[in-house]
Amino acid sequence: MNALLAPVPAVDATSWRFTLEEAKSKLAGLAVRRAGAVRFRVTDHEVRTAFTADSAVDGRPNQPFAWTAFTARRSIGVAAVRLLLGGTARSPLEAVRYRMAESSRWVQEGSSSATKLDRWIHSLPPAGRAAVGAEAVTWATRLWCAVDWSSFPSAPVVGRDHWWDSPHSALLALRGRADVRSDIAHLVVLSGPRRGSVRAELALVTLVEALRLRGDDVPGRVVGWWPDSGHLARVEPEPAVLTLGTEAVELALGGAGTSLRPAA
Amino acid sequence: MVLVAPRPLLRSAPPGDAVADRGTGAEVLAQLRGDAADRPRFDPGLAGGLRAWLEDAAYDLVAARGEHAAPLLLGPRQLLGSHDELDGDDGGAGRLVGDGGAGGGRIVLSRLVHALLRQLVHTGVIGDPLADALDALRVSGSGAEVREIESLPAAARAALAGTLPLHARNLTELVPRFAPGWMPRTNDRVAIPLAGGRIILHGLFDLVVGLPQPRTASLCALGLSTSGPWAAARRSLHYLSLLETLRTGTPPFRLALLESASGRYGVEDVREEHLRALASHIAAWLAQAATVPTSTAQTAQTAHG
Repeated sequence: MNALLAPVPAVDATSWRFTLEEAKSKLAGLAVRRAGAVRFRVTDHEVRTAFTADSAVDGRPNQPFAWTAFTARRSIGVAAVRLLLGGTARSPLEAVRYRMAESSRWVQEGSSSATKLDRWIHSLPPAGRAAVGAEAVTWATRLWCAVDWSSFPSAPVVGRDHWWDSPHSALLALRGRADVRSDIAHLVVLSGPRRGSVRAELALVTLVEALRLRGDDVPGRVVGWWPDSGHLARVEPEPAVLTLGTEAVELALGGAGTSLRPAA
Repeated sequence: MVLVAPRPLLRSAPPGDAVADRGTGAEVLAQLRGDAADRPRFDPGLAGGLRAWLEDAAYDLVAARGEHAAPLLLGPRQLLGSHDELDGDDGGAGRLVGDGGAGGGRIVLSRLVHALLRQLVHTGVIGDPLADALDALRVSGSGAEVREIESLPAAARAALAGTLPLHARNLTELVPRFAPGWMPRTNDRVAIPLAGGRIILHGLFDLVVGLPQPRTASLCALGLSTSGPWAAARRSLHYLSLLETLRTGTPPFRLALLESASGRYGVEDVREEHLRALASHIAAWLAQAATVPTSTAQTAQTAHG
């Protein structure tokens, strides 16, 4: 996947700085406007949902979150790929088995590392665990086989989501989800159909990175990848992408974002 | 037609091309493995030629349906008339028991047996077939379907409980125990957008093994048929091979078809003529659909499930 290694095009520093300040200002306004409201986290899911407010996302009806083989596959899958990269496991199947056994061990030992997902996995009957594991193995194998891991100059970070907490309100936070991060690129594994919201979903990752960086640093490109089709969507770090990300947040928070609606 | 000129792609099919009445996992594995030194290389222009052919055909249908029509999702059920496959849409959740007749029963059986295949590949064992399959469906977000099955009349449920062990036994004998290094993965979904995503060809590999290698066919795909007919199931595997060619540029090099009701199996090499025949069939289907756009709109809703 050369998109993860190719050099990022140069960005006009003045224009970038100006757009970033504008984005910060708009986000501050959004945070203040929501003062007193419940805590709101804007993730790729909220952006996608905001674009498809009147229909199901990914062809699935909007339902409250519940752990299933489908919703658990990424969490287990990225943990498995980390185990593969670290040399703890030699295949995705081994890695997923290891990770799921770890869940049970943590729960049985009362470890503070145990999450809700770990407790859910531990509660499943053997056939249910097998189904969850099988889904995660497929997810992890596709990612493991798609990336040339030896080509990164330094070890990439796998499956670490980045958060930006608004300095103006403890109620607003943005999440940038990426499955593989290198010094110059962030890979996001996508599912579902190609959709009008994808650039906005990826722009959110750029926005979060830009907000977290100090000084005049510019984040890397964001690459969306659909394993189902092999297609890639690249979002380079440009001022227009910051604007798109900010508008997507605004839209997700129920604000204007009107320029985005026709694209959905 | 834009297809590149055919080139010899593979040696002739191995002796195992013929259907075997019974077999063991070791036999299936031996035939899938073949001669590791003789992996075929494919013309890098093959996938581009096949795609161009399909894009041409898709264009006519998109023109007939209109630019702003909803994406048309087409799987083996629509394109080939097959009914055993999960069809890449999570088995058509919400219509499991469906018509309540033979068709509904066949879909239920297919869903349950496919769940058992995943379990077998992942753990190597099946306990109580019906209970295990229902547990697997339950965690797969198909709780409503599980409740439908559990509320079947006692006779229908007993029939299901009586049939499943036969499928489980045959699967246990037939499915090779792949070492983790073979990278076995189940339910590998493929979705190929045509005409800028206005038409999507999709399908689901029941089981894929092997490491993808650029320009070398290195994957084996195994398909599971619960109720046949054999020829239709085989054609579905060829269809999936075409989708894999469009996704990665290279098809799987060998296919295995396992029939869980009878214990039959067959192994064959993927050949360029398989891919061309399917591309030709789909192109003809799209061309025909372009003349009756209303019926294809209905098909899309069915496919979306």
